[in-house]
Amino acid sequence: MALVHIDGNDLVVVIEGLDKLWAFKSSLTIPLANVRGATADPGIAADPKGIRAPGAHLPGVITAGTFHLDGEKIFWDVKDESKAVVIELADERYARLVLQVDDPRETVALVENALR
Amino acid sequence: MGRKRAFDEDEVVRAAVGLFGGRAYDGVSVDDLVTHLGVHRNSLYKTFGSKRGLYLIALRRHLADDVRPLTEALATAPDAATALRLITSADLGLLLLAAVERAPADEEVAAEVATALAAVDQAIADALGMSTALAAALTAAALGIVLRGNPDGVGSALTQRLDSLH
Repeated sequence: MALVHIDGNDLVVVIEGLDKLWAFKSSLTIPLANVRGATADPGIAADPKGIRAPGAHLPGVITAGTFHLDGEKIFWDVKDESKAVVIELADERYARLVLQVDDPRETVALVENALR
Repeated sequence: MGRKRAFDEDEVVRAAVGLFGGRAYDGVSVDDLVTHLGVHRNSLYKTFGSKRGLYLIALRRHLADDVRPLTEALATAPDAATALRLITSADLGLLLLAAVERAPADEEVAAEVATALAAVDQAIADALGMSTALAAALTAAALGIVLRGNPDGVGSALTQRLDSLH
């Protein structure tokens, strides 16, 4: 699970619980200028995720860490795919973040409103 | 980065107009977009940023491709009956859904919808020599008639009364 909030001009993602061990990250801070948008996307977990390094991937249990797909780096922290939100970035180490959040609709509104 | 896109962005946006104009915003999943637009998920995110990003581009495309020609046709309408017929026969699916569903929740959508409808009102006002307020009332009635499935006799009842005013 990830907690997403806005702090000034930054998007802050806090990785909760044991997930931070598998993800090798406890938090990410991204300037809002480099955030392109957020989308609730429960279907993304069924897509090919690419090659993991480093992180954990137990299909059906947890997808966490850095994945490489089509020349892009994608950060994953998802156990319950029905609550997956995709945050698209620009000019960052990661091309996008795929995060499990408590309330996808609320997180999407939070991020999209911060970009207007 | 810098790689050639493997799809025609123009076609994808046009297909998105059809998809978003046919059902509620929340009823269109990213899976639906991937399936119906024929674009990989990664490319979709890379190109449009988010579902809302694609939605806004599709809405603007609909306004340019479908609503602007209507506005231009309305500017030369000789009477209220013609104006009403032009509106009720136009493809306004996404505009209507946006006005009802997304505009109350999204300021950017609300602004696009308001600007497009104001242009329609102005075209009618100029063509028929009426106040913009009365033209807006005609537009509102016409869109209402569209929503009610254009029942027989309703449009003509309204325009007979309007055309007898001048």
